[in-house]
Amino acid sequence: MMKRRMRFDIWTFVLIAAWVILIALLIWPLSSVLHASLIDNETGAFSLTHYVQIATIKAYQRAIGNTLLAGFGGMAGALILGVTLAFVTTRFHIYGRALIQTLAVVALVSPPFIGAYAWIVLFGASGVVRKGLATIGISIPPLYGAAGVILVFAFKFFPHVFLITSGALAAINRSVEEAAESLGVSPTKRLFTITFPLILPAISASALLTFVLSIADFGTPRIIGRDFNVLATEAFNLYGSEVGGNPGMASALSIVLIILSMIVVFGQRWVLRKNVYHSNLIKKPERKRAHGLKALGLHVLAYAIVLIGALPAIIVVLFSFRRTSGPVFQPGLSLQSYERVISTVSDPIWNTLIFSSIAVVAIVITGTLIGYLISRRPGIATGALDALLMVPYVVPGIVMGIAFITRFNEPPLALTGTGLIIIMAVFVRRLPYSARSVAAALKQVGPNLEDAAVSLGYSPGKAFLKVTVPLIVPGIMAGALMSFVTAMNELSSSLVLYVGSTITMPVRIYLSVMDGEYGTASALSTILLTMTVAAVYAAFHLSGRKESALL
Amino acid sequence: MADLKIQGLAKSYKDVRVLESIDLDIASGEFFTLLGPSGCGKTTLLRTIAGFQHQDRGEIVVNGERIDHKPAHKRDIGMVFQDYAIFPHLTVAENVAFGLKARALPKSEIEARVAESLKMVRLDGYQNRLPAEMSGGQQQRIGLARAMAIRPTLLLMDEPLSNLDAKLRIELREDIRDIQRRLGITTIYVTHDQEEALAVSDRICVMNKGNVEQIGTPFEIYRKPLRKFAASFVGTMNFLPGRIEGGRLIVGTQSAASPANESGPVEVAIRPENVQLSLGHADSEAIALKGEVLKVTFLGREAHYTLKTEVGEVVAQVADPEHDFIEMEGRPVEVRLPLSKIVLFRSNGDVIGAGQA
Ligand SMILES: Nc1ncnc2c1ncn2[C@@H]1O[C@H](COP(=O)(O)OP(=O)(O)OP(=O)(O)O)[C@@H](O)[C@H]1O
Ligand SMILES: [Mg+2]
Repeated sequence: MMKRRMRFDIWTFVLIAAWVILIALLIWPLSSVLHASLIDNETGAFSLTHYVQIATIKAYQRAIGNTLLAGFGGMAGALILGVTLAFVTTRFHIYGRALIQTLAVVALVSPPFIGAYAWIVLFGASGVVRKGLATIGISIPPLYGAAGVILVFAFKFFPHVFLITSGALAAINRSVEEAAESLGVSPTKRLFTITFPLILPAISASALLTFVLSIADFGTPRIIGRDFNVLATEAFNLYGSEVGGNPGMASALSIVLIILSMIVVFGQRWVLRKNVYHSNLIKKPERKRAHGLKALGLHVLAYAIVLIGALPAIIVVLFSFRRTSGPVFQPGLSLQSYERVISTVSDPIWNTLIFSSIAVVAIVITGTLIGYLISRRPGIATGALDALLMVPYVVPGIVMGIAFITRFNEPPLALTGTGLIIIMAVFVRRLPYSARSVAAALKQVGPNLEDAAVSLGYSPGKAFLKVTVPLIVPGIMAGALMSFVTAMNELSSSLVLYVGSTITMPVRIYLSVMDGEYGTASALSTILLTMTVAAVYAAFHLSGRKESALL
Repeated sequence: MADLKIQGLAKSYKDVRVLESIDLDIASGEFFTLLGPSGCGKTTLLRTIAGFQHQDRGEIVVNGERIDHKPAHKRDIGMVFQDYAIFPHLTVAENVAFGLKARALPKSEIEARVAESLKMVRLDGYQNRLPAEMSGGQQQRIGLARAMAIRPTLLLMDEPLSNLDAKLRIELREDIRDIQRRLGITTIYVTHDQEEALAVSDRICVMNKGNVEQIGTPFEIYRKPLRKFAASFVGTMNFLPGRIEGGRLIVGTQSAASPANESGPVEVAIRPENVQLSLGHADSEAIALKGEVLKVTFLGREAHYTLKTEVGEVVAQVADPEHDFIEMEGRPVEVRLPLSKIVLFRSNGDVIGAGQA
């Protein structure tokens, strides 16, 4: 074999920098979790006892089974809802598309924890909707247990699927679909034989994401699951409880959770192994105008999905204006809750804004560069980087937080209690969002375009900035949007890392719910929601993509 | 102004050899055409010269200087892409100006060149359109204008006219040729259209399966093919089985004095326009076969007769057919293959020297 020359350019530098970042912020902290899972709590000696227990104790096995059930269930539900919505809105003329997108964003940013609480308010044992239906003779079971958890996951996570796949659907070369049509393939068949395979990267990426989000979520199973225990809740209990805490066991459960997720990660890799470029962005698909019953049906479908998804957020907003007396809601409206929030808790608002802005800027820059490396410079070092980048996806926030506390506690890296440690945790946790979404967008931009720019005299770096970046702006924006939204709403890692002066809004909301201050929690959630939606729209407005906020 | 030398160039994708060992020597200002069947490695060769991918072996030398290790953007090699590679986010004018901006030319110069290039490809007036609003052929012409505008030292064109109508193709190929001559840009041109290749090239390189089969002027390629592949790939060629024995060339039951002093089985090749049809007398300078007209194909300025002979079918060309040519079908004719016009190949595909016109 010929010896290949090593070519040192800007991308080699990016590759090295990416590795340094991931080793410092990912491998090094997480090694502490692996370490903790492998030592005996009492003696401190090396031991596999925690893993042996997981393999032998019934409760843990059930937790593993439930985790898989919740993961695949949530994933399937979110895929069905998300792909349907994406297809309907990109291929048909739907009135109020901006409204649909807004509601999808609202569903996406449904503040953590309180979302589950809102579902209970509506569909719990004494839920408003259930009672209302009961008076007219319709009885539905309360929303508890496995089915409830899966349903909530589906409506909580479908916006991710919607965002990722509608970008891909809008970018399919129209000629390809038309070719299929001309070959006599019926529209429905074409959908499954051409369209879906073409957006398989996007579908499988969002499937993976929703699976991982579903199995790492502990708030929903905790509130709605009742005795539906999953690995995340078990691990959280073992980390969190003052009595009966078992850090070794919690670490081992976290490791099992990470391994389960990694299996799915490699499954997605396998599905995509033959993935190729689609090189022509020139002919974009058009939106068809549907008529009569079909149009009505499509509208009902689209609006039903986003409205149900946004329901918890809507409930929370409504509740924030209710009069309260202590933890109890009273009849009548009032701004009481807001007054209390403004007078006592404005710090979290600033902290949230500052932390997430810094994190997102860092994420977008790093993620775009890494996304490019992954899709355009295949090699062993980039392949490994790509695989490693899946780890933050699958590590529950609590675990990441504890790993950071363990590793960045002593000089020269005594960062605990600073805002920086919260930013770093959010950065590494959400970096994959940006990198993946850029890599996915790049898959649809033919590499020839960049070659053309190079042949016209632009250096590879400049060609990237002048040609590729403008073309993948939708992908960059989608990644930025997701990382920003999730950074603003980051609860689990911050919950472990915050101190009094660095408390963020999601943490404040969580504490309020725990203290029973639902009014304050609702008001805070509403503020957070408003801030998130405003930020999203500002970002899209500034980037000049007014015609459509998200696609 | 630049000459290009390529020596022993080889390139594989994973374990598939796409370029075996290419040697080319292209003079400054030459219009050099690559002709070859689909998948023979033409695009790969161009991309390697442009520097988008690195060769496994071999040298690329421009003006006496090896450029192999120069990054692509410093090579000053323009390229027209087979799939156009038009920037979809830029207008037509911005696409064409793109490379000029990298060269930091004054604004007025950029405008002038954009206008000139667009005019050349007949797209003046489309300056502010986006590529999505253009037809396939128009997009292709943007790519052509974009590459010509920078006046590179070396211009690579990968089927730049493949998507245009016949008339525009002829117009544009003449224009490309004129500008190329005027500016003296050394050009490598890829086309599937043989007539185009013969019409515009200074020299043609016939490629097959990653190898160079023959390099020569259009006349040499057409009239003096060195290998059977080039003979069969360029233009239409009749091949008939034959044999040389005792100084005679034997085709079927007929024979004539052999133009070559070898012996053994040969393939007799002749172009349709050189096949003569007559209804009478024999001629010692030709092989005369008895034939019958099987089919007549009208091609416009000529007609092709497909003739059945004892050694197989032969296509003959008749210039300027009259309206009654169709009545020829089924008629017996004598098919004469003038010795001065036939080319003989050994069974390994090599031409047998001497004897050709
Ligand atoms: N990226 C690649 N990976 C693997 N094989 C490739 C790749 N690109 C091209 N090939 C193969 O290399 C061979 C030469 O391809 P190339 O594109 O150079 O052909 P070409 O002569 O330009 O054909 P055409 O006239 O159809 O454009 C083909 O057999 C093709 O299948
Ligand atoms: Mg080609």
